[in-house]
Amino acid sequence: MRFEWNIESNDNALFVTAQCNNRCIMCCQPPLHQDDIDDLLEKNLKAIDNAPQGIKVVGITGGEPTLLGDKLFILIEKIRSKLPETAIQLLSNGRRFSDSQYAKRMKEVGGDNLFVGIPLHSDYVGDHNLVAGVNGAYDETMLGLYNLNAAGVEIELRVVINSINAYRLPLMSEFIYKNLPFVSWVAYMGMEHTGYAIANEKQIWIEPEEYKDSLGEAVKRLADWGMDVAIFNIPLCLLREDARRFSKHSISDWKVRYADCCNACSLKCECCGLFGTSKKEFNGIKAL
Amino acid sequence: MKYRLLPFNFTRFKEKEVLVNELGDLLVSPRGTVERIINHEDIDAELYKSLVANYFLYEGDIPGTLDIYASRLKTKKSFLGAGTALHIFVLTLRCNQNCIYCQASSRAAENKHCSMSIESMDAAVKLMFKSKSEYLTMEFQGGEPSLEPGLIRYGIELAEQINLQEKRHLTYVLCTNCVNLTDEVLELCKRYNIVISTSLDGPKFIHNHNRGQDSSYDRVTKGIEIAREELGKDRVSALMTTSTFGVHYPIEIVNEYVRLGFNSIFLRALNPYGLATQNDNWDEYTDQFITFYKTAFEHILDINKAGKFFMEEYAVILLRKILTPFTTGFVDLQSPAGILNSVIVYNYDGNVYASDESRMLAEFNDYTFKLGKVTDSYEDLFFGEKARAFAKVWSNECLAGCSDCPVRPYCGADPVRNYSTQGDMYGIRYNSALCKKNKAIIEYLISLLVDREDEVLPIFKSWLS
Repeated sequence: MRFEWNIESNDNALFVTAQCNNRCIMCCQPPLHQDDIDDLLEKNLKAIDNAPQGIKVVGITGGEPTLLGDKLFILIEKIRSKLPETAIQLLSNGRRFSDSQYAKRMKEVGGDNLFVGIPLHSDYVGDHNLVAGVNGAYDETMLGLYNLNAAGVEIELRVVINSINAYRLPLMSEFIYKNLPFVSWVAYMGMEHTGYAIANEKQIWIEPEEYKDSLGEAVKRLADWGMDVAIFNIPLCLLREDARRFSKHSISDWKVRYADCCNACSLKCECCGLFGTSKKEFNGIKAL
Repeated sequence: MKYRLLPFNFTRFKEKEVLVNELGDLLVSPRGTVERIINHEDIDAELYKSLVANYFLYEGDIPGTLDIYASRLKTKKSFLGAGTALHIFVLTLRCNQNCIYCQASSRAAENKHCSMSIESMDAAVKLMFKSKSEYLTMEFQGGEPSLEPGLIRYGIELAEQINLQEKRHLTYVLCTNCVNLTDEVLELCKRYNIVISTSLDGPKFIHNHNRGQDSSYDRVTKGIEIAREELGKDRVSALMTTSTFGVHYPIEIVNEYVRLGFNSIFLRALNPYGLATQNDNWDEYTDQFITFYKTAFEHILDINKAGKFFMEEYAVILLRKILTPFTTGFVDLQSPAGILNSVIVYNYDGNVYASDESRMLAEFNDYTFKLGKVTDSYEDLFFGEKARAFAKVWSNECLAGCSDCPVRPYCGADPVRNYSTQGDMYGIRYNSALCKKNKAIIEYLISLLVDREDEVLPIFKSWLS
């Protein structure tokens, strides 16, 4: 597989491993047990050599990229030297940063133009661990968030909405404001109907129309505190009217699609659309 | 689920129980929750999750996020590590007004000997820079400090000169009645970005009654107008004191502040210093003040609901403690107390006091809170015998009647007030007017959050963010 850069795209992501130390029950890219780190690192380093200047953002994704350990810094150093103006978006479960030295190192190597996107599944430890599939995940992720902040790394906090956290979202907003006020923004994300989300559908699937009010209230509470909020992957017709202004185009270019009824929608060009990769459509899609 | 308890206190409002932990995080729960927790009886599953998430309970042998709890406590107490930030320079006791509740033992404007000497100013400014705080505020008080523009100029110029090396963030505040804002004073304010803090007790009939002068209101409001024109509206703030006369006019006082274009008011009670102690019926006054505060506050809520942004400053301080993870710099509600930790006073006579109130006691020949002279060493002043004695009684976590108080994380310790009203720095809580007042106001604000959250929370958030 040769990496193709697309300078127009919002989705230039380097896939660094299929392994993960979480077992999230809604994972859209289920992890694999394979020793892929060195091969992928070599390919990714080459890809960076061939990268055109002017790429706005380069993603680093997995699996769990921090499983590369110190090798992750080799990759980031390479990006920093070849693409000094490019922002780096690292997607991680944050657990590895419970080691404060690792967090400090990330800041040293990545500099100011790097941010880490980290999911928090619940304010309650038991629910977070249930979703992440690992006992102890919550404690490490929370400590990782604190260490990253102490090191001066920008953080995007991600909340993937599922049936376990959907009704606690407003309470979780208060928790985030009190315990994680330093995150740069909070991103609420609709689930993709793919990967484990299908296998565990009964346990975790919830339709956006069911959590419309809960999400609307959660977003309002954070925004009222002056925190930056974004909603990803949920079409405008499934958001409470006062929450629509937080919606962002987020679905990767190659994944996005629209339903037939969307052609009649006056807000189509402002809408994030639907996941092309989802195996089924959200309920209640309608033209606005 | 097996769980253990983290430290918290609680209080009851009607059918609700309000739990407050060491961080000041508050959780509203149904009455009986605490008993059920303690007896490990079944509680609502979502309530249980909230109790764990918000540091009331924890699962396992030790809290998994104990380091985060510690980090948050450090943030709440971050006023401590920074070093003393507020440095009050009492330039003179001379004053051009004659307020009935004067807390500063003012003397007539002619009494030249009641002003600070250049040598004292010199030593005081140097002491200020001994503080390790990154932020230093020089607050000029009196008497009426604008009667001593030369001293202000000398002090600021010296500070600016020293700061070429020190590179602290310097802020200057002039506490003035605005009656004597001469060109010289205004020029100083402009040059050094001095913030003006003035005193206005309400509409004309109240303000003039409190000042003992028929012309005061017109002169003060004229002064405010001039200061705003010259310095900009945001550089002029006003404080009010609720006299035994004004306590009957909450609505009128609030409306006066709105009318004059202020976007906030600080509803302050009288304090028992200086001439104000002649008002001896403190129990009656405290009850009146609590009623006054609530009436004024409801009126302020109505003003906000009508679409106008207008804050009550005391509530803003308390709500920052109740609703946010951050600290406040307000010296009267801190534990350990604001004295020495956050504020120090250099008096006109070259003596150093632990707080503004401390030097007021000294005007009645009580030198309990005198730390020494400006010529003494920083170490002797800040770590001397007196400072060590204060330190034993300046944390409400360790005071009987405070340690188990449900609203303790929002309140503070005040050894000076305890001493001046009860003759004992440790203090007795059950009959303390200060305790009664603070508790009443804090519980009132919490009751608003419990009973009328949808109505008040958006307003409170607009004040805090």
